[in-house]
Amino acid sequence: MDRMRKIKRQLSLTLRGGNSGDKSLSETISSQDTAHSDSDAMSVRGSGSMRGAVRGSGSVRTGSSFSMHSLLQSYSSALRRPRSLGRSLSSYLNHTTRLEIVHEDVKMGSDGESDQASATSSDEVHSPVRVRLRNNPGRKISTEDINKRLSLPADIRLPDGYLEKFSLNSPMFDKPLSRRLRRVSLSEIGFGKLETYVKLDKLGEGTYATVYKGRSKLTDNLVALKEIRLEHEEGAPCTAIREVSLLKDLKHANIVTLHDIIHTQKSLTLVFEYLDKDLKQYLDDCGNCIHMHNVKLFLFQLLRGLNYCHRRKVLHRDLKPQNLLINERGELKLADFGLARAKSIPTKTYSNEVVTLWYRPPDILLGSTDYSTQIDMWGVGCIFYEMSTGRPLFPGSTVEEELHFIFKLLGTPTEETWPGITSNEEFISYNYPRYRPDCLQNHTPRLDSDGVDLLSKLLQFEGKKRISAEEAMRHPYFHSLGERVITLPDTTSIFALQDIQLEKEPGIRSSSLSDSVNSISRRQSLLF
Amino acid sequence: MEVEPCENAVPTNTNPCEASESSSNADNKTHFRVCRFIMETGVKLGMHSVPVATACALYHRFFQSANLRVYEPYLVAMSAMYLAGKVEEQHLRTRDIINVCHRYLHRGSEPLELDSQFWELRDSIVQCELLILRRLNFHVSFQYPHKYLLHYLLSLKALLNRHAWARTPICETAWALLKDSYHSPLCVRHPPQHLALAVLYLALHSYGVEVPAGAVEWWQVFCEDITNSDIESIICELLQLYDMEAKCT
Repeated sequence: MDRMRKIKRQLSLTLRGGNSGDKSLSETISSQDTAHSDSDAMSVRGSGSMRGAVRGSGSVRTGSSFSMHSLLQSYSSALRRPRSLGRSLSSYLNHTTRLEIVHEDVKMGSDGESDQASATSSDEVHSPVRVRLRNNPGRKISTEDINKRLSLPADIRLPDGYLEKFSLNSPMFDKPLSRRLRRVSLSEIGFGKLETYVKLDKLGEGTYATVYKGRSKLTDNLVALKEIRLEHEEGAPCTAIREVSLLKDLKHANIVTLHDIIHTQKSLTLVFEYLDKDLKQYLDDCGNCIHMHNVKLFLFQLLRGLNYCHRRKVLHRDLKPQNLLINERGELKLADFGLARAKSIPTKTYSNEVVTLWYRPPDILLGSTDYSTQIDMWGVGCIFYEMSTGRPLFPGSTVEEELHFIFKLLGTPTEETWPGITSNEEFISYNYPRYRPDCLQNHTPRLDSDGVDLLSKLLQFEGKKRISAEEAMRHPYFHSLGERVITLPDTTSIFALQDIQLEKEPGIRSSSLSDSVNSISRRQSLLF
Repeated sequence: MEVEPCENAVPTNTNPCEASESSSNADNKTHFRVCRFIMETGVKLGMHSVPVATACALYHRFFQSANLRVYEPYLVAMSAMYLAGKVEEQHLRTRDIINVCHRYLHRGSEPLELDSQFWELRDSIVQCELLILRRLNFHVSFQYPHKYLLHYLLSLKALLNRHAWARTPICETAWALLKDSYHSPLCVRHPPQHLALAVLYLALHSYGVEVPAGAVEWWQVFCEDITNSDIESIICELLQLYDMEAKCT
């Protein structure tokens, strides 16, 4: 309870700006730091690390209740001698000053015990650092790596001109930025407050998060509230961190909008715009038979959203019908960026286990870890097929089965169709029969020849041969939508164009029925 | 609340201007030390260079707006490392971070027992991570100068005399300068392209390597929006770091 209060106080300090620090305090504290070489700074560090910790738990050895009282004492005792400490700033290796401070801190009783403990016992064997190292015998830390503090070559001669200029210029420091006012005004409107949103039905539940349908009191709009529990010992789940950091920068008509983030003690709630259903439900609701014109509209919107992401070097990595949300207007939006990340250095290898098996491309299934935006395009092909036929294209439950489904349709790859495949060890070990490629047209009776051509360009074994989202948007299959859809501004919906309209689905069932039937299994998309 | 009682204790006879300068100077020393702490413990934790750079950038971003008197810098650094691991997909365990950092700060001491103290420390890291996320408003992924520097180096190599290139460690120096720049908030104050160009510029000048001149300066070819004074101010800040190192060790 006491700890909670401390955090609260710290947070409120943050919100108030907390910039009114005490100068002499900084001086004394930092001069303490300066006064100690690393090896004998133990006791000082112990107490120093308590300073302003979010919880008062920086104290490493003493009892758990490092009280306000002793905290204040430590401050005032440090301050009682500002002059002498000030002097130690200039002569920071002054021996007497150092001893004085250590003495003071020991008397303060922060962790005098730890000194003794470390003196009497050896920890050669139990050091967790060593245990960790034993697990990775391949990696050695050379003392050079650590000791070489700044890493310039020894023979470098910095140009004199700069050194002169440098000695003339006094250090320049920016003033701390204050976002306090902006935050206060947003908070006054009601953003960032849990009270602003009314929880309605629960839409789904996962390991980290629960998703509720909700209503915003500000706008009266429906919202999806993704409540992420924080009591989990790992802190904020990294999927949530990545999702939020990405979504904050993605503003596009075909990407789900993150309206607000609410921090509370126990949870982090992400407020998304609400969309009625995902593509999976949409398929279910219209009897697995979407109007072919709507298939085209959905596919185009999917490509549009994806092209936007790919332009910004963001991979979705987890495309599936459950992650594509659709509203009543027929607007399709990409959701769940938990597995997406900004792609920085192209040579980087990513963790292998990312895409749901059914929509995972064969090169990734065969162990390739170094993929790019093309990873998402295979999934687009699978989704295109699923919308056109009403059933999943490659519903494999294991990697082996998944590849088997793929090769059965597209033919077992050979050196001609996939250079280098015959030396892929995993491919060899599966030893698939030699299937001949099947005609895609036979499997997709409802798709015209342009559609089949686009599908085949998406379903290429090799990532580099797959059509990109940008190219795909210009494919003849979409020519019937007109030229203007290509040049729309990012945040404009394609339905802003007069001639683009959603066709009525003939077989659609009442959505209220499906709501009650599978309300819990719904909207898994928003979960982790 | 903690700082309030101290305000009365400000020495009255000190020139306020002087005090603020020496305090920001001291702050910079602290930040320098904490960043070195991040880099050294990062090596011990087996972190790759990008997560380490992220951790430093998170740290600098945080203290751009936060007050050093209110938040414990080493705790912020530990949380920044933990968060950087999540952001850059090199997940670190809080236990490893605590043990390695404890060892750094208390050399030769025993590892912490798994007692309530340990758990509180871990809770602090987790709480502080949330605080960083809040402060930075979830802007936790950064553009790095490294990729620009790589690109510039490759282009420059094609432009320069092969022997001159082989004789001088331009690459190594530029790379080292860039790595060192993370000791200071340069990375959050300047665009990554500018930073990459400035370290390359300094490396070339340090070894007296001249780039064939064309209609425009070579660096204008790489980056259109940078000026000579931008480069100079970055270099000046960078050199302060090496001065700082002498003062801090």
